[in-house]
Amino acid sequence: MKIRWLILFLPVVSVIVLSLAVMQHAAKAAAPQQPATIVSAATGSMPANNSTATIPDTTLAINSDKPMSERIVHYEIDAKYNAETHIVDATEVLTYHNVTGQALDHFPFHLYQNAFQPKATWVNEAKLMGSRDTSYAKWEDKDYGSEEIKSIEVVGQGDLTTQLHYIAPDDGNKDDKTVIDMPVTKPIAPGETVQFKITFQTKFPETQARSGYKRDFVLGGQWFPKVGVFWHGAWNCHQYHNTTEFFADFGVYDVKLTVPQFEIVGASGVKVSEANNADNTKTLTYHGDDIHDFAWTASPRYKVKDDGVFQGQMGPVRMRILMQPAHWSQVERHEKILRESLDHFERWYGPYPYKTITLVDPEPDSAAGGMEYPTFITGETSWFMPEGLHMPELVVEHEFGHQYWYGMVATNEFEDAWMDEGINSYTEVKVLDSILGKNTSIWNMAGVTMGERELQRVGYIGVADLDPIAKNAYEYYNSGSYAGITYGKTASVLLTLESIIGEDTMAKAMHVYFMKYRFTHPTKEDFLKTIEEVSGKDLRWYFNQAIYGVQVMDYKVLRTESLPVNWYDEKKNASKDDKDTVYRSYVWLQRKEDFVMPVDVQIKFENGETIREHWDGINRWTRLGPYEKKTKIESAEIDPDHKIQIDRNDFNNSYTAEAHGKPARKVSNYWMFATQWVSQALAWWGV
Amino acid sequence: MTQNQGLLGSGWSMVSRNKRYIVWFYLLNLALAFFGTAAFSNQAHTILDHSLLADRLVHGFDLGVFAELLARPEFGSTQALSAPAADFVFLFFMATALFLPGVLQGYASTYRLPRPDFFRACGRNLWRFIRLLVLAGIVMGIVAGVLFGIRAPLLKAAGESTNEMLPFYLSLATLLVIFLVMSVLRIWFDLAQADVVLSDQRAVRKSIAAAFRHTWRGLGRLLASYVIATIVAAILLVAGIWVWMKFVPPASVLGAFFVSQLTLLFLLIPRFWQRGVAVSYYLQNMVQPIAVVETFTTVAVVSPVVTEPVVEPVLPNVPPETQAS
Repeated sequence: MKIRWLILFLPVVSVIVLSLAVMQHAAKAAAPQQPATIVSAATGSMPANNSTATIPDTTLAINSDKPMSERIVHYEIDAKYNAETHIVDATEVLTYHNVTGQALDHFPFHLYQNAFQPKATWVNEAKLMGSRDTSYAKWEDKDYGSEEIKSIEVVGQGDLTTQLHYIAPDDGNKDDKTVIDMPVTKPIAPGETVQFKITFQTKFPETQARSGYKRDFVLGGQWFPKVGVFWHGAWNCHQYHNTTEFFADFGVYDVKLTVPQFEIVGASGVKVSEANNADNTKTLTYHGDDIHDFAWTASPRYKVKDDGVFQGQMGPVRMRILMQPAHWSQVERHEKILRESLDHFERWYGPYPYKTITLVDPEPDSAAGGMEYPTFITGETSWFMPEGLHMPELVVEHEFGHQYWYGMVATNEFEDAWMDEGINSYTEVKVLDSILGKNTSIWNMAGVTMGERELQRVGYIGVADLDPIAKNAYEYYNSGSYAGITYGKTASVLLTLESIIGEDTMAKAMHVYFMKYRFTHPTKEDFLKTIEEVSGKDLRWYFNQAIYGVQVMDYKVLRTESLPVNWYDEKKNASKDDKDTVYRSYVWLQRKEDFVMPVDVQIKFENGETIREHWDGINRWTRLGPYEKKTKIESAEIDPDHKIQIDRNDFNNSYTAEAHGKPARKVSNYWMFATQWVSQALAWWGV
Repeated sequence: MTQNQGLLGSGWSMVSRNKRYIVWFYLLNLALAFFGTAAFSNQAHTILDHSLLADRLVHGFDLGVFAELLARPEFGSTQALSAPAADFVFLFFMATALFLPGVLQGYASTYRLPRPDFFRACGRNLWRFIRLLVLAGIVMGIVAGVLFGIRAPLLKAAGESTNEMLPFYLSLATLLVIFLVMSVLRIWFDLAQADVVLSDQRAVRKSIAAAFRHTWRGLGRLLASYVIATIVAAILLVAGIWVWMKFVPPASVLGAFFVSQLTLLFLLIPRFWQRGVAVSYYLQNMVQPIAVVETFTTVAVVSPVVTEPVVEPVLPNVPPETQAS
């Protein structure tokens, strides 16, 4: 065969072979790896009618001999997962202890999976404001999720299914079914317990908002009817929004999961038992204490490492890591950062009381990465992840941090998202700085560096004048503003607070806050007052601007001048290098925006001498000096210790008398190289 | 140049004999890039020259500081900064099309092509090259569109696989196939360019047809030559960046400029090598033999003495004085 025929033949054959291989592989992947048994609707047995039911005081899942939270709820769920249809059929027995101090005549429930319907508020907001995971360019069947209560019985009051009705307390959207309310015929008196027996069916969408299926993987998050929180004298049960997360009461979870036998499962809490069934399924039983949610995952392809144990202050913590096969080489890397995060949080903030932590490396290309549930987190990585790129470390540390600021200090994420995500981003900076280096915690490769605090800052400065931190999470201008303010600004504001009260005092305040408010639902004022109490300072001037306000900070060194005192003396003035020449020097500072904050200023002279000044920042500008010295000003810098993270423009915080063109020439050279290379490449193929 | 010597060798010989073309194209590339990136450079100087923070871009390279620099309102939008650079890219593209005929003429010459002849070739072939560019753009655009159109659903299907590596390997494999096909098209139009210039062919369609036939006939040799030159380019790029990262201190702007520009200069060589291959192939295989029947009394031929009419290939556009020598 002549070479030219070979050349023509080979690409054609390659394309055909590749096409066939891909189609075959994809078809194989579309179906579960082993024949799955289609399970019928769950008909598991429910506890007998018992109006005197109590919340268990078990401690099986915690390193404590007594409960650590005020346990309000006890969920007993018996669920069967169909791996082909991605549907869960389940029964749920919810025991609720009324500690509100008043009679309760209705109970609202979250039905989160109903958010993934075309007319739901979540989807409307995602279309309008942008979404982290899904653009909804077009609606597809796989995007659909649902959560339906088939029946509900209140023990002692009978079947009240007909009393269920959807409500939309936030936006009045009649098509939103993420909150359902149920009046009871007889109010539940203070101190009483009530039991609900529910049968429900949940259909997962393809992963959205870190829940759902992808190929043969599933992440079961927010998958069961969950009662709202009675908080500050009323039910707090918001609709599910595009930018919000969750809020729930602490309690005990006993969950039976029935899945195909080929599935490898991970879940919140501790595994109590596992038994194979006759129909090629298996049932796993989990128990969780002092947690406020329960999540699980299943995939036939996880590779598991569960021999790691962290010796915590309250006892051993077993680390269970479920990795994707292609990421197995990174399992040690994941365990290392998980262990170091545990260590830092225990030393800095308080003990981790649970007996397990499960780290899940979710299905590639799924929207399931980077999520937190009690004692259960998902990371995010890919098959190509150089050691110098610390994305897995960042995600694992961040999600683990939620065990403290969401898992134990259970803030209201609908209304105060910053108290979870923001405080967690702050501690993320602190922990990653400590483990991976201040300026290298994100990227340290090929001579290029980037630190976590800079990442948070860059996220904030683009949206600095849009929204305050203290705002309902679903009322931000858009998802970018929500992320930039809730994560980036909060982290930057708390880092800046260190410059006001001191780094050690801030660390102490964080420790006190955690220990005081763990296993409760603190408010924003609880947090801010704790800082004021620990520091002994009135910080309202700062909180009013930084937390409650939208003031923007931008301080600038306008210019410096060093003029000979005897400038009129031609003889003296003629000799620039005369060491006896006395100069009178000044520095001009400007507050360009409306955030007022006292700042330090360092003035450096050419002979190496430095002077520290302090400016209250009240006036729009000020002039420092004169300084009469036999030397000229070399530079002036606001915030010379680089503790202020909320200044929108750090470049103008300093001014050198002499221009230094090297930085600009360096970045311009990069730009020029890229431009020339692109032009050559275009000319290569085009001409 | 009647012997059927190796295309790569003869192409390289042309490139090495005419190094000045590469230097001139490089200088053109550099000069245009200087203007194209001036706006970026000016804004960078405005923000960085008096700032102590800028030091974090010099001693190492802090990506966060760089991101903050790009985010500054006074730096301007990315679009505003990239527009002049895009204009430069287009100008260089057009300049390449304008001066390429002179290069091809120079490669085909056995002597150093005088500057007037170089520019004469450029001017005479300008309109022909524009027509060739348009036709090449249409053909390559359609083929690339079809190939990438096939690739997209393949990658999408691979994305549904449970094997995470499959999309990556498939992506590489399909890009390789696309590269080979596009290289064949590039060979086709490179031969057409050579034919247009060296045959002084006004009818571009005839050159395209002839080039198509010869691309097919010499596909093995031509494609191998082009692929080798492309591999050399890739090696040069990787080596250049490696030297830049390994041996140039972060604070050495001059060193970085020197290494980056040297890399860009070397990167021009493989493409000129490919053009040398095309011209070489043209001279070896595509020149139409012209029967010249002349008597000794009218043509000054030094040797050999022949008794029959001479029939030999005649190189086009060779000045008479050179023939006489």
